[in-house]
Amino acid sequence: MKKISLLTTISIIISAAFSACSPGAAAVSAEISVTDGLDKQIILDQPAEKIVTLSPPITEMLYAIGAGDQVIARDSFSDYPETALSLPDIGGGFAEYDLETIVSLTPDLVIAGGINTSELVGSLEDLGLTVYYLANPSDLEGTFASIEVLGMLSGHEDKAKELVKGLRSRVDAVFTALEGVEEKPTVYYELDATDASKPYTPGPNTFYTSLIELAGGENIGGKLEFEWAQISLEQLLVEDPDLILLGDAMWGITPESVAERAGWNSLTAVANGVVLPFDDNLIARIGPRQVDGLEALAKIFHPGLFK
Amino acid sequence: MRKFTRPLLLCFAVLVIAVFLSIGVGSVAIPPKEALEVLLNTMEDTAPASDSTRTYQTILLTLRLPRTILMMMTGAALAGSGCAYQGLFRNPLADPYLIGAASGAGLGAIISLTLGWPASAFSYLTVPLTAFLCALLTVFLVFQLAKVRKSLPVTNLILAGVAVSSFATALTSFLLINASGELRRALVWLLGGSTMAGWKPVLGQLPFALIGLLGLLTFAYQLNVLQFGDEQARQLGINVNRARTKIVIFATLSTAAAVAFTGVIGFVGLIIPHIFRRITGGDMRRLLPISMVGGAVFLVLADVIARILVAPQELPVGIITSLCGAPFFLFILRRSKEKDW
Amino acid sequence: MQLRVSIDRAGYDQSATISDIHFNLQEGQLLAVIGPNGSGKTTLIRAISQVLPYIQGQLFINGTDLFQTSENSRARLIAVVPQSTYVPPSFLVREVVLMGRTPYMNWNGKASGEDEIFVREAMEQTDVEKFKDQLCGELSAGERQRVILARALAQNTPVLLMDEPTSHLDLRYQIEFLELTKTLSLNDGKTVLVAMHDLNLAARFGDVFLAMKNGTTDAFGSAQDVLLPEKLSEIYGLAVRVIKLPDGGSTAVIPQ
Repeated sequence: MKKISLLTTISIIISAAFSACSPGAAAVSAEISVTDGLDKQIILDQPAEKIVTLSPPITEMLYAIGAGDQVIARDSFSDYPETALSLPDIGGGFAEYDLETIVSLTPDLVIAGGINTSELVGSLEDLGLTVYYLANPSDLEGTFASIEVLGMLSGHEDKAKELVKGLRSRVDAVFTALEGVEEKPTVYYELDATDASKPYTPGPNTFYTSLIELAGGENIGGKLEFEWAQISLEQLLVEDPDLILLGDAMWGITPESVAERAGWNSLTAVANGVVLPFDDNLIARIGPRQVDGLEALAKIFHPGLFK
Repeated sequence: MRKFTRPLLLCFAVLVIAVFLSIGVGSVAIPPKEALEVLLNTMEDTAPASDSTRTYQTILLTLRLPRTILMMMTGAALAGSGCAYQGLFRNPLADPYLIGAASGAGLGAIISLTLGWPASAFSYLTVPLTAFLCALLTVFLVFQLAKVRKSLPVTNLILAGVAVSSFATALTSFLLINASGELRRALVWLLGGSTMAGWKPVLGQLPFALIGLLGLLTFAYQLNVLQFGDEQARQLGINVNRARTKIVIFATLSTAAAVAFTGVIGFVGLIIPHIFRRITGGDMRRLLPISMVGGAVFLVLADVIARILVAPQELPVGIITSLCGAPFFLFILRRSKEKDW
Repeated sequence: MQLRVSIDRAGYDQSATISDIHFNLQEGQLLAVIGPNGSGKTTLIRAISQVLPYIQGQLFINGTDLFQTSENSRARLIAVVPQSTYVPPSFLVREVVLMGRTPYMNWNGKASGEDEIFVREAMEQTDVEKFKDQLCGELSAGERQRVILARALAQNTPVLLMDEPTSHLDLRYQIEFLELTKTLSLNDGKTVLVAMHDLNLAARFGDVFLAMKNGTTDAFGSAQDVLLPEKLSEIYGLAVRVIKLPDGGSTAVIPQ
């Protein structure tokens, strides 16, 4: 009895001494303080160990920087990498997010993306959770910044910085290879052609336009007004792009089906068979694969310059 | 056929059951023992013993309880204002959205979303509040258009309501087309799928819904007299214009409060008063309050179904109410002889 | 109760439908308003009960200017039995009659003991007591008309306006109805104005007569002044004979 109580007393005194001596020192070195996309101050005592992601690019980026083990649940559209599919699905997409399950998983950080509403963020915060809102970047620098922030939040800063460095050098490589190249093929990128007389194509101020340009091409959609723009078939015929990229290939659109559309075979690209399926996720989904997308585009536009 | 007390008590009893059901149902199964512990903790104001209890407490008290109350108030508000409109327009097919509250709220929400006001998370009540104000403004506009000097003829109200609603809907669609960035938020709101979680929407909705419903109850008797037509009501001493104005105001407060926080949920305002009229008769002093309770029961139960039907996904409540609406009207159709109206 | 009516012009808008109607009625008098359809009888009743949008003139009940009184006070002075026999079917008979007490009850229509007494009396007088717990939707047109009359009686007003109240009633009930009305005017001192279709009934029950044509007064006065064959023929566009029956009391108006 006496021995135990003596040991206990000593332990208590020592712990008290420690906490008295260094009140904030230990805390400060591990503390993470960032401002998120909704201008909120997020403060974590230490990198997040239990993360719930609410949108696919976030899941992807976390896995890319080695934080995959820290993700405990994901939204229903997070499908890359494949290992993410085995994580619990907490809803999202157009359906409601399963707030109860999110709460019951007791995450120390929830990361929301551009597609999530501020109402959702607010609701989660009202439930006592910490939510970091990662606003959608509009260019690759923004993507790199997003990767680095996620690195900070998950305690993989080094890995993140390394990844960004590698991505940057790849971008530079593309840039260098294209130096002096005058000819820029015109491109029509198809997002949705349910109404084939007025299909949807990305407009200015989108990743599509900027990546296509970086890859040495020209997005004809860049001349339109809205970001999610419609182009009439007539306009398309007038523009007569050199290339057609089918971003809707993942929904089953094939070059053959395009050729069958009324009036479309007068397009040069269709006549020359330069209608190519393209994995939309390589541009649309914020993350390292966007550089894959850039390289893929460059290879399509200037096959001679890229292997 | 003209019972009141027993059906009312029955409704309350079912409401209590519905509330318990609603709190007990969700994607996370909470063992009854834990639920009881949460209840005790709350009553004695003690901190939760374990992490899991804290989680359960959050789920029960910050997710399920406020949502249940939100559904109760919305159901009561829609059924109450639907009942009042049916009396006001002397038409059993009138619903709370007839004079523009819903289209106005939708327009307000879309305006607030496309202008990007609530960019920061802390002001996320801006969307529902804008929806609410816009709903009121829309009805006010309908009002002004329908007025003939000092009187407010019923036909004019309906015509103006249709006109303004169409315009508001058109404007909403136009804004949607141009709202590329906020499109998703806008669509989610319009589909009624953005019921906010927590206590904020309840606190936002409660005062307006309460004022609206209590106000309607004070005009129940005058609504009775109005059934005889403007002329006879005046001859019996009722200030018809003032009564009609006040009734529209209170009904709109209720409807706008409902729509702003839970989106456009159909059929509640139409079906509930219809059903209860067969039980209590046309006396608004009975029909109004029992419709309100009935509406609360109906929506809470519909919400429970919406949450468990395709669990863990959630259906928007409006789908369940619409599913009830179709067979209801077929049933009415079969009863060729409408005795009550 | 003296009812002083002085209407220069009245109607639904400025293009008035009735004009130049001036008369005074004493307590206990029954004014029979006669005239063909469209002569303005209903409009006149609407004007006096103040449910007409445009009225230029004066209306006084025993010195009280009706234009200066609230709806509630007016409803304690004038009760109307309208032409329409429509009653919302989902109300019980006794509930409808109780509505006649609206000007006296609170916002929630709570009936006091006095209200109940007036209601019971009114139902007895109109012989609808036996239907009191029935739905109005189950009654015949004539029965509904009596219920509406009961409502007006329950309102307990010094002035009673009736717009062709016997149109749907069987002969027996027509006579009973008007006899009751006459009794009320004599015993309770009510001033009654009845717009009537049937000239014989008018002749039988009226104390004073107002003949209307094209929205204005054609004649006003006692039976001798108004029930003249030339006048009636001119008003109705049909030659009639006015016969005093041998029993000494009644007058009959018969088309030629």
